[in-house]
Amino acid sequence: MSTARELDLGLGVLDHQLVDSEGRRCGNVDDLELSSVREGPPTVTAILVGPPVWRGRGWIGRIAAFLASGQTVRVPWEEVEKIDSAVQLRKPASELRLGRGDDRARPLVDWIPGS
Amino acid sequence: MRRIFQIALGILAAIGGFVDIGDLVFNVEAGAKFGYDLLWVIVVGVVGIIVYSEMCGRVAAVSKRAVFDAIRERLGFGVGLGALVASEVVNLMTLAAEVGGVALALELLSGLSYEALIVVGIVVLGVVIWVAPFEWIERIFGYGGLALLVFVVVAVKLHPEWGSVGHGLVPNVPPSDKLVYAYFAIGLLGAAMTPYEVYFYSSGVVEEGWGPKDLGLNRANSLIGYSLGGLLSFALMITAGALFLPLGIEPQFIGTVALGSQVPLGTIGLLLALVGILFAVGGAAIDTCFSGAYNLAQFFGWEWGKQRRPAGAPRFTIAWAVLLVLALAIIMTGIDPVLLTEYAVIFSVVALPLTYVPILLVANDRAYMGPHVNGKLANAFGLFYLVVILVVAVTAIPLMILTHQGQG
Repeated sequence: MSTARELDLGLGVLDHQLVDSEGRRCGNVDDLELSSVREGPPTVTAILVGPPVWRGRGWIGRIAAFLASGQTVRVPWEEVEKIDSAVQLRKPASELRLGRGDDRARPLVDWIPGS
Repeated sequence: MRRIFQIALGILAAIGGFVDIGDLVFNVEAGAKFGYDLLWVIVVGVVGIIVYSEMCGRVAAVSKRAVFDAIRERLGFGVGLGALVASEVVNLMTLAAEVGGVALALELLSGLSYEALIVVGIVVLGVVIWVAPFEWIERIFGYGGLALLVFVVVAVKLHPEWGSVGHGLVPNVPPSDKLVYAYFAIGLLGAAMTPYEVYFYSSGVVEEGWGPKDLGLNRANSLIGYSLGGLLSFALMITAGALFLPLGIEPQFIGTVALGSQVPLGTIGLLLALVGILFAVGGAAIDTCFSGAYNLAQFFGWEWGKQRRPAGAPRFTIAWAVLLVLALAIIMTGIDPVLLTEYAVIFSVVALPLTYVPILLVANDRAYMGPHVNGKLANAFGLFYLVVILVVAVTAIPLMILTHQGQG
C-alpha cells in the first residue's frame, strides 16, 4: 500500500473477500498468521484460507471445520496488492492455490449447453 | 432511456420482492380479519424497507460488497454462520411457498393438476434462470407482476368507506383480539421487510456494476419501487377488508384474493389478478432462490453472480439448482403453501436483526464507505427501525404460539 493509513485487522481484513489479479473472487480471509507476537512488534505474515482454519474461530467454527473438507491455503502477506473493501491479490488464484473448490465444481456444470 | 430501463430493477424488487406470497397471505388475512385497521403497519413496513434497501444498495454500490459480505465481516465467522444457516432455512421455506403459489396460480389458470404444475413451475423457473440474462429476468417478472395493479382498481371499485380507510392509516389498537392483532402486525412488518429482498437487491447492485454515480438511482429505486409495492399491499388489504370481512370469509388459500378481483371486474379482473400473482410470486421465487445462493457464496468467498455465466461461478450455480430441487421436494409433500408462508415470514422476523445490524454498522464505517457514510436522516431512521426489529424479533414466535398462528 502506497499511502500510510491505519488498518483495523479485525474489521478491515479478517473475514473479507479475496479477489485475485484477474478480478476473480477466490475465498475469504478465514484467519491471519502473525509472527513475533512475543519478541517484538507483531507482524502479519500470511492470510490463511480453508476449512481447517475455521477451528480457530470459536465453537461454531470447530463444528463447521469438522463437517467440511478441504486444505489450509497460506497466502504470504507479500502477495497482497491492496486492501479496499476486499483484499486484492497480486497473482491469479491458481498460482496461489486459491479458488480450487470452484475449479473442482466446474466440470459438474460446464457440460450443460449455455453454461 | 438507459436510466428509465434501470428503474426496472426497483420495479422488480417492488413487485417480485415486495409483493410476494408473504404479502399476499398476510395482507389478505389481515384485511379479512381486521378490515382497514392494520393499514398503518404497511406504512411502517414500507418506510422500513425503503430505509434499509437504500442503505444496502448504497453499501453495495460504493464497496462492491453485498449484504452477506457485511454480515460475515461484522459478526465474525461463528455468529455469521448462524445467520447464514437461519437465512438459508427461511429462504428455502419462502422459496418452497412461492413455488406452491406459482403452481396454484397456474392451476387456477389452466385447470391442470397442482402436483404436475409444481414440476412444470420448477422446470420453467430453472430454465429461465439458466437461459435469461439478469436484466431480462427482472423485466419479464417485473412487468408481468404489474398486472397486480388491477387490485388498485378493485379496491376503488368496491367503494370502501374511505373514512375507515383513513382511520386505519393512524396507529390504533382494537378493543378486543389484541394478541391476534399484534400477530398480524408483526406478520405484515415481516412480510414487508423480509430480509431476502435486501440480499437480492444488494447482490443485484453488484451484478449490474453500479458505482457511486448510481446512488441517485439507488435512492429513486428504493423510494419508487417500494412505495409501489406498498400501494399494492394497501389495495390487497382494502379488497379483503371491503369484501371478505362483511361476509365473514377467512381466505384459506391464495386463489381467494383473485376471486375478490372477479367480483367488481368479471373474468378479465380474475385473469389479470391470476397473471399478476403468477409473475409476482414467480419473480419472488427467483429472488429467493438467488438470495440463498448469493448468501452461501458470499459467506464462503466463492465466485458468484448470474453475470459470470453458470460455469464461471460453478458452486453458485450448483447452490441455486440444489435449492430449487429442495424446494420441489418440500412443496411436493403436499404442505399447504399458506401455512408454510406464515412460518417463513414469522421465522424471517427472528432473523431480521442479524441482517440489519451489520448493514447499519457498515453503512457508518468511513473506511468502507468514504464520503457516502450514513447521514443523520439515514441513521435516525435506521436506529428507529432497529428498535422496531428487535421488539418484533423477540415477540414474533411467542405471539405465533399464543394466537395459534392468528386463529385466536
